[in-house]
Amino acid sequence: MALPLVYHWRNVFVRPTTTTLTILVVAAVVGLLGWILGFAAALRGSLAVASDTHKIIVIRRGSTSEGTSALPPAEFNKLSQVTGVARDPQTGRPLVSPEMTVQVALPRKRDAGRTTANVAVRGVDPERAFAVHRNVRLQGPVFATGAQEIIVGVKAAEQFAGLRLGDVVNLGFGNDRGYRVVGYFTADGGPLESEIWGYLPSLMNAYSRNAYSSAALRVAPDEDPQKVIEQIEGPAIQLTAKTEAAYWHEQLRLVRGYLVIVTGLVLIMSVAAVCSIANTMFSAVAGRTREIAMLRTIGFGRGRILVGFVLEAVLLALLGGGLGCGLCLAWLQFVGRTKDMLGASSFTTLAFEIRLTPMIAAVALAAVVLVGALGALVPAWRAARVQAVSALREG
Amino acid sequence: MLILSYLHRNIWRNPLRVLMTGLAVGLPITIFVLSVAVVDGINRFLDNSARQLRLAITHKSSIVYPLPAGYRGKIEALDHSRPITVCAMRWIGGKVEDKPQPLSTLAADPDTFPATFPEYLTDPAERAAWERDRQAIVVGRGTAAQFGWRVGDRITIRASVPPYSAIPFHVVSTAQDVVDPVTLFCRGDYLEEEIKRQGYPEGLVSFFFAKCRSSDDLEFYRTAIDAHFANTPDPTLTQDEKAFMSQFIAQQFDLPRNLTILSALTVVVAIIAAANTMSMNFRDRLAEYAALKALGFGRALVFALIQFESLAICVSAGALGALGPWYAFTYTPLRRFTVPLIQSLDVRLAVCAQAVGIAAAVGLIAAAWPVWLAARLRPVVAFRALE
Repeated sequence: MALPLVYHWRNVFVRPTTTTLTILVVAAVVGLLGWILGFAAALRGSLAVASDTHKIIVIRRGSTSEGTSALPPAEFNKLSQVTGVARDPQTGRPLVSPEMTVQVALPRKRDAGRTTANVAVRGVDPERAFAVHRNVRLQGPVFATGAQEIIVGVKAAEQFAGLRLGDVVNLGFGNDRGYRVVGYFTADGGPLESEIWGYLPSLMNAYSRNAYSSAALRVAPDEDPQKVIEQIEGPAIQLTAKTEAAYWHEQLRLVRGYLVIVTGLVLIMSVAAVCSIANTMFSAVAGRTREIAMLRTIGFGRGRILVGFVLEAVLLALLGGGLGCGLCLAWLQFVGRTKDMLGASSFTTLAFEIRLTPMIAAVALAAVVLVGALGALVPAWRAARVQAVSALREG
Repeated sequence: MLILSYLHRNIWRNPLRVLMTGLAVGLPITIFVLSVAVVDGINRFLDNSARQLRLAITHKSSIVYPLPAGYRGKIEALDHSRPITVCAMRWIGGKVEDKPQPLSTLAADPDTFPATFPEYLTDPAERAAWERDRQAIVVGRGTAAQFGWRVGDRITIRASVPPYSAIPFHVVSTAQDVVDPVTLFCRGDYLEEEIKRQGYPEGLVSFFFAKCRSSDDLEFYRTAIDAHFANTPDPTLTQDEKAFMSQFIAQQFDLPRNLTILSALTVVVAIIAAANTMSMNFRDRLAEYAALKALGFGRALVFALIQFESLAICVSAGALGALGPWYAFTYTPLRRFTVPLIQSLDVRLAVCAQAVGIAAAVGLIAAAWPVWLAARLRPVVAFRALE
């Protein structure tokens, strides 16, 4: 027979001060862990949906991002030689979308416009762009080709001011052309959701450009994207091509670096939490030597006492974990859940929203169970080794 | 003497508990030191910018739009009674072939660069090389260390923007005494030649840096330049160097703010962990404190006993926790570890001292509750409560 759970539950509250303090340490660590996991998940989410393996981004050789690339029409036209590109089923034209990326400084909502972020503005040709960027789905109408209109990614609309339906955004080289927001679009949560899209010729004119920035092309479903990339990078065309996943992986290099560092720091914190729980459990075991001896005498085996004390620590840790998740949720709710990041070399911003999903909470709590169990292992071992007879005699 | 020995024995009565507490306090202090060191590095970077009396002049709409190179002469001619040195910068980013890391290369006007950035090229030989050699490039010390470049090396950098070509350079300086460890400066006239050869538009500049003679001049030019170009096709935005640099840092993970929150949280964790130990110690030794009081020792002694123990544990753990990263980032291969933006993480002893001070505060606060209980402890009640 195992020790009843209620015995351990009540024991947790025998020493309220110690219990509270231990719970607080665990809560602080779990709260932090939840935030970081949420951030990492948001980042991974953006990368995962960007991993359309049959979409290729073509930029100028030598440039590191769409923002710094320039692709004159003559260079762009060379892409028509590439074989293995998907074709439009109606017109039979290859699905290659010329695009121009510029940026506009927009105020961030989260600090009430005190700072601005560089939001990417992409000029596209609606006939081709939506066939290449398959994950882009319109919510509402698309921009008209004959008017100064734009559509806005939902993440950009959430985080930056002045992007409501009907708002006018000043674009153009002199920031003097008003473009009206007519609709929103989603991209399965991918990086494109942080962008603003408008009609390519109109935007090129506004920015007095005669070169595109980049091209996106869709590889035919039964072709190997790597072969297409080789053709584009080969001697005949000499441009740089990357799958969408590889492109964004490179752009978010810095952010991933930060995440690794911060995760390391949280691991160190977890060790501190393990120590704190161990301390509490040592003290609990030391204070209950006679009680444990009594349990042993009335027939509870060593294994059961060991398991019992580990369980007690896990209960303690779970209480802390629950509180930590609650604090993390409250923080995200009241302090803010939005973040944005600068690409490695693009000068443009990628918007994120950090969420504490049930999955993340579960992972954080699992970590906390581990922390509790690790912290209790040695004290519980000691408890199981209590010599019943001598302990009773000493008391 | 007797007291000292009592204090000493007190600490080591429960070695395991001391060790655990030491870890639970020391590790958060380690994190504290690392976070504060990064924030400290960024602040020193910005403070250095603030001292330079330099203005950054960019296009008003966005930093990515170019300005005409001819603005330099117009700015210099704004007010002859207030001399100003203007240096045009053209950003070419750049990459070394087959290396993923993007560089930050700027092409500067060769004649005004040394006067605008007097912290560079302090060595007369390096300065002479810069003036003589069109292919001269100044490499930040962090970047130089990373790629193993030395003065005299020939290197090739492929520009990320027009002219997009691979350009050969000669390293003339590795800027050892400069705060910014990453930026590379090459000569603008040499780049312009390459741009011309590749057929890209000439005479464009990413931004200008202008060195003023006094803070009064700086204030004057901050508004005068923007006012002068306000109604042209390319209006300008003039900021001091600190404001200009700050905008990049705000975009980088909001690093200073987030790390400050993290370090505050670690201190709270350390306080709670230490307080936990001290309250456990107090409970275990209740009878002892009661006995001391019954024997006629006053509050002061009991107070000192508890407070000293807490301080001793926290300060030693804090010192170990703080000196760990200092040692690691000063003497081990970790010193090559690169932090984005400030490149090398310099854990200064001043930061460590601050952390030890915080650890002492942690010790004081952690013992506050037991001390209060001890002061109010009435021996009769305490003895009666014992089994």
